[in-house]
Amino acid sequence: MADLLSYIVRKLLLAIPVILLATLIVFLILYLYGADPITAVAPPHASAEDLEALRDKYGFDEPFPIQYGKFLKRLVFDQDLGTSVARGTLNTDVSYLIEQKLPKTLQLMAIGLTISYSIGIPLGIYAALRQDTLKDRGVMVFTLVGYAMPSFWLGILLMMALAVYTNILPIGGTVGGLENIILPALTLGLGNAALTTRMMRSSMLEVKRQDYITQLRSRGLPEREVIFKHALRNALLPVITVIGLDIGWFVAGAVVVETVFSWPGIGMLVINSIANADFPTVQGCILVLALFVVLGNLVADILYAFVDPRVRLG
Amino acid sequence: MRRRKTLSDILAGWRMSEGAKEAIKDIIDRSRRNTMVAVGATIIIVMFSLALLAPVLPISDPEEYVDESFQPPSDNRWFGTDELGRDVFSRVIWGTRISLQVAVLAIFFSLLIGIMMGLMAGYFGGKTDYLIAGTIDLFWTFPPFLLALAFAATVAGGSLTAVIIAISISYWAGFARLMRGQALSVRERQFVEASRALGASNIRIMFTHVFPNCLAPLIVWASIGVADAITIESSLSFLGVGTQPPTPSWGYMLFRGLANLQEAPWMSTFPGVVLLITVLGFNLLGDGMRDVLDPRMKGMRR
Repeated sequence: MADLLSYIVRKLLLAIPVILLATLIVFLILYLYGADPITAVAPPHASAEDLEALRDKYGFDEPFPIQYGKFLKRLVFDQDLGTSVARGTLNTDVSYLIEQKLPKTLQLMAIGLTISYSIGIPLGIYAALRQDTLKDRGVMVFTLVGYAMPSFWLGILLMMALAVYTNILPIGGTVGGLENIILPALTLGLGNAALTTRMMRSSMLEVKRQDYITQLRSRGLPEREVIFKHALRNALLPVITVIGLDIGWFVAGAVVVETVFSWPGIGMLVINSIANADFPTVQGCILVLALFVVLGNLVADILYAFVDPRVRLG
Repeated sequence: MRRRKTLSDILAGWRMSEGAKEAIKDIIDRSRRNTMVAVGATIIIVMFSLALLAPVLPISDPEEYVDESFQPPSDNRWFGTDELGRDVFSRVIWGTRISLQVAVLAIFFSLLIGIMMGLMAGYFGGKTDYLIAGTIDLFWTFPPFLLALAFAATVAGGSLTAVIIAISISYWAGFARLMRGQALSVRERQFVEASRALGASNIRIMFTHVFPNCLAPLIVWASIGVADAITIESSLSFLGVGTQPPTPSWGYMLFRGLANLQEAPWMSTFPGVVLLITVLGFNLLGDGMRDVLDPRMKGMRR
């Protein structure tokens, strides 16, 4: 157990430079932005002095390292992401805006992840047990198409099929309550299900070939028991450990899917903020999304070390 | 009667060792028999032809208002018209041009960055490797789409060049990782040692021995990379931070199609189907080539 702990600490320390890079990229978003962001904040007909005062307030006129240093300091000590400069939400704390939207994105990701695994795992096993048959080929074609399908196009297709033509589900937004999350979550989940199926299939095929499986069969255990009691346990490990990496995929997917279905999460916030040139909010959102990815990777590493002791000793 | 030139005839004219010719012939033979390669390559050839021929094909100007708005598909407007009365068929074909142009150039530049970084890290080792590998890992952590979104959002205007740059600097880490791994393993091989003993310089060894040995996986990943780049470009355009109107782009067409889903479903259906087929084509080619070039990697992906 001690080696597992030291492994986790090591991984946590390694995450720090990654997070720093994320803050730097995020900071550059505002710094490099060509147009003067002050024009987005200033009222029309503002005088030069007014502009100067505003620039001072937001700190847009200082040299790069100082701006970045101040940005980091505010971030670390006050969790302060600055204030929005968009007209509708002028001077609102970005951290407050994000707090409002975060639960929606988390909901979406959680249901999407559940859908992805409850389709991908059984389908992968199904295909692996029928390797090289027509059914297996069929599943593989599904995964190929599912992987190639851009998420926004899948979303539009599902919307056409289930909302526009059949009226089974609402088109988007959050007015109706629970049924509104089905379409976006399904879009997010189906895309990732293709990957999960592929992983599950190849992992099951790998395990099926191993000696201990042959040995169990030769002892006369029924095939069902061999597969579901003994093989599955080992075959699931690599699939489960990539949950963490899936989170990165889901974060990227959420931005697109939320926009398709007007789901009011972080993804829509970031896209709307880009459109409104509200760069402090863009910074904040991207930073939160990046933290998700880093966290996901950390979870993947830890899960992996947990199930495979060779990793933490290496 | 003129005999059709066979593969062996063509190869016979090349200046290389018989062993290398044998290997190339073997690879081409096997890829011909691979269904995934055949389907993928066919799709890609059709798409590239459409992209190249777009200016000379008898189709209307993709940015011109040629008909009434929202005309459903018909005999002379195969894919119908959009909300401004532009020909969707023509816009889809011109969109192919934009998509392929952005994706191929973006992957070309990522390859360039990735190969350089990976070769240097893997070959020199030590402190150089430590620094470069760290940088690679930092970029590798984030999904390329998220990075590209962040970069694309910073560059005002969203020109094609901006999109290409955004994708290139988001995607190179995968190639660099691959290259570094290969370089690390190749440099321990005896022929590299022999070449060094003969006095070859580092640069020479990297490009004549290490690099050619990494070609096979690079071909596979470059093909999959183009598929990813097409997806990223169309997603960015869909979100409004990629290719800007009036330039025809599949992503933006789908965005407009979403807004008019009820009145004009053809506005999103046709660009969507062509986009899917194109991405599928590059993925199939990549997957198939992997089986052809290295049967041991069969079925692996992630």
